[in-house]
Amino acid sequence: MQYPARLFADTATIVARCGVLLLLYAYVFSLNDGTIKGTTFAMVAWSMFFYFSFITLSSSRISRAIMQDITSGQIEVLLSKPITYLSYRAWWQIGAGVYPFIVTTILGAVTLAMTVGIPQTMKIPLFLPTLLVTFIGAIIVTLFIYTIVGLLSFWIEDVLPIFWIVDKAVMILGGSYLPVALFPDFMYKIALYSPFGASVFVTHTVYESWTTIWYKLISIQLFWIVVLGGIIYFMFSRAVKNVSVNGG
Amino acid sequence: MMQELHFALYAIKKNIQSSAELRTSFLMNIIGMAINNIAFIILWVYFIQAVGIIGGWTAADIIGLQGFTAICYGLVFSFAGGIKKLPDYVSSGSFDRFMLSPKNILMRVSTSSFTPSGIGDLVFGVICLLIYGILMHASMVQILLIMLLVALATIIFFSVTVVIYSVSFLFTDAAFVVDGLFTLFLTPSLFHGGAFQGALRAFFMFVIPALLVGTIPVEIVKDISMGKLAIVAVFTVIWLVLSIKIFNRAVRHYESSNLMTFGG
Repeated sequence: MQYPARLFADTATIVARCGVLLLLYAYVFSLNDGTIKGTTFAMVAWSMFFYFSFITLSSSRISRAIMQDITSGQIEVLLSKPITYLSYRAWWQIGAGVYPFIVTTILGAVTLAMTVGIPQTMKIPLFLPTLLVTFIGAIIVTLFIYTIVGLLSFWIEDVLPIFWIVDKAVMILGGSYLPVALFPDFMYKIALYSPFGASVFVTHTVYESWTTIWYKLISIQLFWIVVLGGIIYFMFSRAVKNVSVNGG
Repeated sequence: MMQELHFALYAIKKNIQSSAELRTSFLMNIIGMAINNIAFIILWVYFIQAVGIIGGWTAADIIGLQGFTAICYGLVFSFAGGIKKLPDYVSSGSFDRFMLSPKNILMRVSTSSFTPSGIGDLVFGVICLLIYGILMHASMVQILLIMLLVALATIIFFSVTVVIYSVSFLFTDAAFVVDGLFTLFLTPSLFHGGAFQGALRAFFMFVIPALLVGTIPVEIVKDISMGKLAIVAVFTVIWLVLSIKIFNRAVRHYESSNLMTFGG
């Protein structure tokens, strides 16, 4: 709440990306009699909104924060504190993103509900509990992916290029500009089984297929949480050995 | 004027030499950005596959659009990368050194920094436009139009960027506000141009000139439309003049924070 400028930036971003995209898709769907590949505009709108609302959490910024700590030498100070560095960074990131996320999500959801309506698939009892579970899973997978990118700073001079590529993989496979329902088959499979797609599974929850695949997708998220968690543990324990804390 | 330009070129040369010192990082930034940009082509090409051709726009046009936008972005943020640092300069007080410089302030600020990843955008953009030219079997007139439009679109891109970043002088911590405004300008310039119709098209041409950077140039080249070319040329002049005036007025709001910041 102390950072109204950031709230403005997040709102502008969601309007620029999601708002304009939805206007474009509304036009495109109207040209196709309201349905493309069996999907309605309302479903696509909510799916894309979930993507853009999710990214206002800014979980991906954890990699830049870790990179800055490492390149500035601040990591030395943080490691000497009686807290676990990575969990401190993760909670800090979640805390920083919660307020813009809540505000933009509430505003966006109300606007969408009033303009395009709520699809039937979001009115079933299964929707909200599974959305919550997959949302929590998505936050953890996202934090883990970007933590790995950030930790690479211990070995690589500049991890920004890797960050860009990972970020774009998440953007494509998460269903940002092209909703997952419109993916070609092979791309849909990559989105399903890769950690990049799993990090934004919330975009799958609005489609009819969700009622039959939700447990599979949540299992995939769990799988990636375990695998990526293991990788982080391995990388961090190796990285810490490279740091010499001098104190003073 | 020539002296100013000579100094700007000298500053750019020194910035490139300085960035190239970290050779691995320099190359990784260029290659990484070029790969990063491919994402937009993949997305919009699959978009066309899924929904069909809209507004006469084919996959080749999407490549052209990405080419124009990437070149503008690359040229502005590599050679005039300092403009992106304006919020930092203002909030940290290091803008003092530009005020004290006898050179043109806007030119001095713009050329104060170089972003290696911008070269990646530039390379990517050039490749895209080459592919676009080949795919559309471009005539000599169309090739000349592409070159002219790259210049005009870059001036528009630079001018709008200057206007947006001038906001830095109006707020205490403007970095986030500037980022938000810049996203409002940049994002539509990367979207499928054929899907912009009616009021939305007018808004993103005349209020936020995002479509003048990529979409309209692609349509000019495709249709060899001299009417649209005239619109782009007129708006280039308007935005350039406007940006210089706005920047100079915004600078008057600057208050030094009296921090000791020298050089750079």
